[in-house]
Amino acid sequence: MIGGSAGSFQVVASILGSLPKNYELPIFLCLHRLKHVRTGFVEVLSLKSAIPVIEPYDKEPIKPGRAYLAPANYHMYIELGNKFALSTEAPLNHSRPSIDLSFVTAAQVYRNKLVGIILSGANKDGAYGLKKVAEYGGTTIVQDPNTCEVRTMTEAALQMGNVNHIFSIDKIASFVANLKAI
Amino acid sequence: MTIEDIDIQYFVTALKNSSGYDFSEYSEKSLKRRLAKVLMDNKMELNQLVTEIKKNVSFAEKVVKEITVNTTELFRDPFIWQMLRYKVLPTLQDNKIINIWHAGCSTGQEVYSMMILLNELGMLEKARIFGTDINSDVLDIARKGIYKYRFNIGYLDNFDKVIKENPYNYEKFNDIPYSKYFEIDKVKDFMRMHPFLTEKPTYKKHDLVRDENIFFNKFDIILCRNVIIYFNYNLQNRVFNLFSNSLYQGGFLLLGMHETILGPMSASFDKKENIYIKK
Ligand SMILES: C[S@@+](CC[C@H](N)C(=O)[O-])C[C@H]1O[C@@H](n2cnc3c(N)ncnc32)[C@H](O)[C@@H]1O
Repeated sequence: MIGGSAGSFQVVASILGSLPKNYELPIFLCLHRLKHVRTGFVEVLSLKSAIPVIEPYDKEPIKPGRAYLAPANYHMYIELGNKFALSTEAPLNHSRPSIDLSFVTAAQVYRNKLVGIILSGANKDGAYGLKKVAEYGGTTIVQDPNTCEVRTMTEAALQMGNVNHIFSIDKIASFVANLKAI
Repeated sequence: MTIEDIDIQYFVTALKNSSGYDFSEYSEKSLKRRLAKVLMDNKMELNQLVTEIKKNVSFAEKVVKEITVNTTELFRDPFIWQMLRYKVLPTLQDNKIINIWHAGCSTGQEVYSMMILLNELGMLEKARIFGTDINSDVLDIARKGIYKYRFNIGYLDNFDKVIKENPYNYEKFNDIPYSKYFEIDKVKDFMRMHPFLTEKPTYKKHDLVRDENIFFNKFDIILCRNVIIYFNYNLQNRVFNLFSNSLYQGGFLLLGMHETILGPMSASFDKKENIYIKK
């Protein structure tokens, strides 16, 4: 699961672009979007991605080999039984989707099988969620703040502690591409 | 207490026994998250909350109101309202009566959006509009039609897109003033819907989990938007069944942007873009 905000779009694009076509895992993207670029986001990411990029419907079953993008203006939860659940609850820390909420629910479901990644961003959303990923035994990665367009989000995540890897963009991309289903 | 370690079962059972409300088929993650918030807002531990629920039905009622999510907007998802305006409502032009049910209408912005559209199309007179929700407080707000200007200012853009602009013909622009439908007072920070709109709908408390169609008629249009995301798959199916039985053949069901009929009930509907049509 990848969380990002300002300055993360290019990073996400290069991660999705370097995946093998027969990728075995689902990827979850929880990205803050500017108000005026609500539409067209999926289309642009799809062009760069090696696997299909989808904004999931509520209760849609999660399938491997897809990248799921949290829909604009909804929180995206992972439910037991491998399904999504959406919510229009008020923004949390000014964010909807909230990276924290997505991460916490995914951590509870996937536990040590979850890899949580925080990318460039201008607020602190995601730091709490990443800590929870670690507590449930998952792997945590933060983009090297020196490679971030905006470093606030990665620095907040690092301050929470429990981060396994600090990676450059290329390192993140190859790490994700080499993950296998267990 | 955070959403991870909440014992949802304990709470759900207590609530059901004391008040009859049944949240056992709500989406778990979001219910947990709301319960965590209710505990925080009431400065209570789960045990205390449950004890209070058991001995005090009106407290249980209050918890139900706090636990449900009531966020809403005027013309939420303008694209859907444009479809309604140009594709759906015109097909009902010749009806003598048009019955419309807003299930889970919250504070009424969706209901007002519909009435404004109908009025623009000259169809408001013959429409009969019903708004329901599990939460009687939001229905009281809907009846009054008075909203904080501050919270709704952003949604005036939606109004412009749906009412002023024509997505199928950019040269057509209707400069319809907001004052045709509501009064805005920036200093006192409110917007108030005009009486011809507030007086029109019938609002009733209705629980989609337990209640059948409480109206003595079928519907041409049912809107149930951003409500079933809080329900699990089984409950969603039951609700779709209720809607299917409550719609005329050819009637329209409108769900939220990211809601869809996944189960067996999808066979009862045709789907055109985002709109379901009862077979
Ligand atoms: C997020 S609001 C949606 C408002 C509006 N339809 C919209 O899309 O903007 C969800 C509403 O569903 C209501 N609701 C939740 N559970 C319900 C139930 N079992 N029966 C009826 N309404 C329910 C809540 O009280 C809340 O007002």
